Amino acid sequence: MNLARAPRLDTLERWMQAVVMHPQGAMPGVRSAPARRLLPQAAVDLDSVVLPSKALSAVERLDIYAHMYYARLLEILVEEYPTTRQILGAEAFERACRRFLARHPSRHRILNRLSERFPAFLARHLPRGPRSGLAVDVARIERAMEEVFDAPRAEPLTAAQFGAIGADAWQRVRLAVIPGLRLLKLRYPANDHMNAVRGKGQPRIPRPRASFAIVYRRGYQVFRRDQEPVQFRLLAALASGATLAAAVRGSVGGRRGNADELAARLGAWFREWAAAGLFSGIERQATGRRRR
Amino acid sequence: MTGASLPNRWKLPDLGLGVGLRTQHFRHITEHWPAMDWFEILSENFIDTEGRPLHFLDQIAEHYPIVMHGVCLSVGSTDPVDFGFLDKLAALARRVKAVWLGDHICWTGVAGLNGHDLYPVPYTEEGLRHMISRVRIIQDYLERPLVLENPSTYLTFASSSMPEEEFIARLAVEADCALLLDVNNVYVTCRNHDLDPLAYLDAIPYEHVVQVHLAGHTDNGTHCIDTHDGRVIDEVWQLYGRVHRKTGGRATLLEWDANVPKFPVLQQEVGKAARFRNGTKIVTSAAA
Ligand SMILES: [Fe+2]
Repeated sequence: MNLARAPRLDTLERWMQAVVMHPQGAMPGVRSAPARRLLPQAAVDLDSVVLPSKALSAVERLDIYAHMYYARLLEILVEEYPTTRQILGAEAFERACRRFLARHPSRHRILNRLSERFPAFLARHLPRGPRSGLAVDVARIERAMEEVFDAPRAEPLTAAQFGAIGADAWQRVRLAVIPGLRLLKLRYPANDHMNAVRGKGQPRIPRPRASFAIVYRRGYQVFRRDQEPVQFRLLAALASGATLAAAVRGSVGGRRGNADELAARLGAWFREWAAAGLFSGIERQATGRRRR
Repeated sequence: MTGASLPNRWKLPDLGLGVGLRTQHFRHITEHWPAMDWFEILSENFIDTEGRPLHFLDQIAEHYPIVMHGVCLSVGSTDPVDFGFLDKLAALARRVKAVWLGDHICWTGVAGLNGHDLYPVPYTEEGLRHMISRVRIIQDYLERPLVLENPSTYLTFASSSMPEEEFIARLAVEADCALLLDVNNVYVTCRNHDLDPLAYLDAIPYEHVVQVHLAGHTDNGTHCIDTHDGRVIDEVWQLYGRVHRKTGGRATLLEWDANVPKFPVLQQEVGKAARFRNGTKIVTSAAA
């Protein structure tokens, strides 16, 4: 060993990381510009940095780590995005994952954040078309399912607490939604498609059609379901902090129709949301202030 | 096979025989409260989440002693120490009343990235000084000894100036940290680096060892990979027996993380350690 040429610890770590995270494997990693900037001698004489064993060359030993890096993270993405993968096909999915990981290497100790930018990455990088469009929407749902799985716990409002909100208080009452709720406005009927995949395997790629999905956790179980467009708009308004009155006005207010029918629909939606445990708190604003 | 009784420096208890807590067994454990002396958890699986796993862990921690073992502390990294992460570890340790907590003698990422793997440090004087100072900082902050495990390694840096076991021994003594001796990793590392596992074991300062890991691995002929996907091989059991003779008994844990079998298979496999431990079987059944 030539001590004068022994790399410093931080250089060696940066170099090894650049090599084993290289998407084409260890040898392209050793020859890559970032690795050569750190340890130029490694590209000329790799054994001066990493020793071979009796059975393996230096590059084969580095490749063990390079292989494990992608294998481990791919395994996680495969687990988190089963239907996205089914839509794209295993090979195209893996290609997309490798490009994603090369572009967005993990920056978090906790792996549940690994793929937070994956749906947006797919939206930017997949070739245009219905298959990709559906895949992006399904990926958004699958990511939301990951997030609500880990979301903070919150006690949902009981039916009695709901019932206690008098109609006269609607101008002043805001509802807090649970942290484990995501609202997704989608371009494809992605939730329906996921149900069909669960049911019989290989459904056709549907035509584009706007859909409105919610993903939420009830207890420790994760659910997803579609909402009617107006229902979704109302829930989104409530989740953004509008009072009950303002939310209703903003989502269904301008519509012509039978007032009784509207009241019946509102009642049904609130019962559905309450049963799903989507609200965790009631905030009553002091009287006198009204939001328009 | 009676051995000398050599207590560890902190008088941390020999917890008996345990297994790594895995999601697949949450239901079985909370429905049957099976006989098991203790569980080890992967710390990162219960941080930044308030989901189902934590819900089960809370219940399990009421019934069994819990030890926290991490993979992301990155003690050997040249990045700054992440005190926010230490706070999260400490909070989890309080929550589950962790008997001890630890990680690996390795680094997992640098320059803000994370490879989610256990990368070897060069076994140099510089590497050793760096690890010692980091371990001291972390121990001072957590106000408890850090229990650090020898990882399985697959490469050797040309700049290394001492064998792994010497690096570990000096780290333990000079940083005054505790060791988790993974005898399967000793086997795998020695196979991969053409070293003698018995010489490796003989260099370990056993008063610093508080825990032992057992696991299966994959033998690829040219090298072994620490896959934790099967039973413990005979050679590794022999190493375990040797450690037991040197220590007189340390908390023993079976790791089985891939192709995870049903819980009784784990009980049976870790139970094999009893023949090296003067016949001491798993004693605790939490079904009280
Ligand atoms: Fe281990």
